Amino acid sequence: MKPFDAHECSQLNEMKMDMSGLNMLAGWGASGDVIMMEQMPIFGGYIGDIEETTICDVATMIASFVIFDCDIHLDGPIHIRWGTTTTRETLKIAAHAAAALDLNTDFLLANQYYTLAGPCTEMCLLETAAQAITDTASGRELLSGVASSKGVSQDKTTGMEARMMGEAALATCGMEIQEVNRVLDRILELYENNFGKAPQGKRFQDCYNVKEVEPSEEYIDLYDDTIKTLLRCGIEL
Amino acid sequence: MTQMTAKRYVDIYEAYDRFYEGERVREDQWDYSIVPTNAALMKEKYDISFGPDIIPTDEDLCERLFLAGVDMLLTTGFYNTDLGRVLHITEEELFEGLKMAPKKLSLGSGKDRVKCKARRGNARRKPVIQGGPTGAPVSEDIFVPMIKSYAQEPVVDTIVSGVLNTVNNHPATTNTPWEIRATMAEIRYVREACLMSQRPGMCI
Repeated sequence: MKPFDAHECSQLNEMKMDMSGLNMLAGWGASGDVIMMEQMPIFGGYIGDIEETTICDVATMIASFVIFDCDIHLDGPIHIRWGTTTTRETLKIAAHAAAALDLNTDFLLANQYYTLAGPCTEMCLLETAAQAITDTASGRELLSGVASSKGVSQDKTTGMEARMMGEAALATCGMEIQEVNRVLDRILELYENNFGKAPQGKRFQDCYNVKEVEPSEEYIDLYDDTIKTLLRCGIEL
Repeated sequence: MTQMTAKRYVDIYEAYDRFYEGERVREDQWDYSIVPTNAALMKEKYDISFGPDIIPTDEDLCERLFLAGVDMLLTTGFYNTDLGRVLHITEEELFEGLKMAPKKLSLGSGKDRVKCKARRGNARRKPVIQGGPTGAPVSEDIFVPMIKSYAQEPVVDTIVSGVLNTVNNHPATTNTPWEIRATMAEIRYVREACLMSQRPGMCI
């Protein structure tokens, strides 16, 4: 790793840390490295409801900076049932936590992306867009993703999902918040009832020309169709 | 009289000392009782209740939520799973620590360098876009082209890697030397993908 790279260390759920993490932080800190500290609060676990999970999220983000000397916090509220960051509840937790810290600190805040649907599906792109819109409008400084198919399926991630994350963020910058909320409601209505039957999507090898590293015609067409869907929801990419 | 000024902020060495000397607590007690009880108390104390909006528009709610998070950390502390002990910091130390947090970072080098600066609300300046599999498992034979699929996207500023589950066709088993070899291979492969995309200075 080089001095201009970033090192990632994770807290444990909830409000916990281990010696391995502390030792890594000490080493990176002594070397002057950029430290990104991760913590993904679990919604639906033992913390409680949305509000309690958000309070815990705010506390852990503050701890990252004032106890563990990190430079940027990587969030990722996750739904215990679906294992994703893109549900209505987890988006709400992320947005409220970011907005509360944005109002009161200069913290550099990031969020990471775990969609339920896999690559080369409209649901995956809509989940990604919804979170990118949420994170951008709530003041986050860095978006990190996308771990499609919950980040657990072999080879089921591609650059096209990151393209959607970035382009949705660009389209959101400067929008009025009440309008953003209306757009989000429309996008969520398109996918939130499909969590029980989310499409698994395709592997990188099956939706990209691996040699040329180009997305397939099918994926490009699907991406274009999703842009039209998002336009109908009120956001122009 | 309550002291208003912290001697200094808490660094990682002081954090370890406080964990080491902290109160001993069972992990199940922490998970099932202390954290959820305190979170519920803070919700009630600061009257935290969300409406239907995904992104809050009520500044007073955001202010109370911030104070609830501060109080949660001060009241609860932080747990060390290896030591089985709890660290506490004071309010003065917490606010001193807030001043230590960087307001901007430089990621990457040369023409691939990007600045990550604090945004305010839905600012017109875009966030940094970090593209990659985000820790998802990736086969060895497609690792470089997959990472290139992110590095070649103009909207992507920095790279987050995936996980090789084999290296030289050998399983990259956790807590073995093979895990180290796989990690080193990941770094080489990511750098190669950035080079192939004409973006050698991307932050990884």
